Amino acid sequence: MVYRMCGDASLAEDAAQEAFIRAWKHLPNYQPRSPFRNWVYRIANNAALDVLRRRRETVDVDEIPIASSSAGPEALLEKEERAARVRQAVLELPEASRAVLVLREYEGLSYKEIADVLGIPIGTVMSRLNYARNQLRKSLAPCLEDL
Amino acid sequence: MNGHVTSWIAAYHDGELGGRRLRQVEDHLAECEACRAELEQLQCLSTLLRESPAAKGLLSPERFAAQVGLRLPRRPTKPTWQRTLEASWRLAPAGLIGAWAFVQAVFIVTGVVLIALQVCGIDVLGLQQPVSHETWLTAILNLFQARLGDTTLTILKAISTLGWGLTFYLTATIAIILLYWSWLASLWARRRHQQLQTS
Repeated sequence: MVYRMCGDASLAEDAAQEAFIRAWKHLPNYQPRSPFRNWVYRIANNAALDVLRRRRETVDVDEIPIASSSAGPEALLEKEERAARVRQAVLELPEASRAVLVLREYEGLSYKEIADVLGIPIGTVMSRLNYARNQLRKSLAPCLEDL
Repeated sequence: MNGHVTSWIAAYHDGELGGRRLRQVEDHLAECEACRAELEQLQCLSTLLRESPAAKGLLSPERFAAQVGLRLPRRPTKPTWQRTLEASWRLAPAGLIGAWAFVQAVFIVTGVVLIALQVCGIDVLGLQQPVSHETWLTAILNLFQARLGDTTLTILKAISTLGWGLTFYLTATIAIILLYWSWLASLWARRRHQQLQTS
């Protein structure tokens, strides 16, 4: 999840480590009113946002290099380029919409679970998800046509 | 079918619909090409997103766990007296329940023994002399009459009327309830403090 939020391996590792450490520190404060998984996702999302914020103060996130394509068969190269474009498009989404999209598309959480993780109403989850998908449909239109 | 179901297609695609709404969307999709195309676009987008591979060059789980382990703060060791105090506080409810059970048992056993003795006609400790309660009360009143307040007199008269056994039972029960409430209040205050610290 943090990788999809950060779009960069080293940032994702920082965020994931930060998330585990926060979860460890605040474990005694965990209230079993919501599932443990949602609690961990919430911490991971906050850690990813914090890492991105810290990084933004020094480097423009848009400038983070996306995994470079290695030499190889043309099909593989094309696939890697498409993956890089997808990562970039996801990264360009506003953080609030990106978090909803990542939790839905990559983590498979239900709207209710996403609402619980992010502390927002289900209606907001739906509108942010729609916004994110519409943005991606625009920015990834060439890739979608190829499918 | 009239009216598109555009606003529900995403929820349908995500498996969030059920019952009548689900049937409504399914019926509409069977007839409406535009909405089917919309659904197909969403499915294509999901496929495209999920096909995008995870990051390359991430640490192995073992190395990641080792790095997290190194960064974890060491738990400060608390002194023995603090740990003992903590354990006592945690065990307090069990102690209070035990005390309450003990008081109940004493009250019940004493009651049963006294009834049995009375049924057998045995007079132990002058239990069949109710005047004894009056005797000590009169003695106290004679001794402190000039200084005893109205409240004290009322309490003494209540004790005299109820008898020592029942008075002890009621006092102990009320004390246990009050202590338990205090413990609950301290638990609430502690959690609130922790929540404030977290936020």
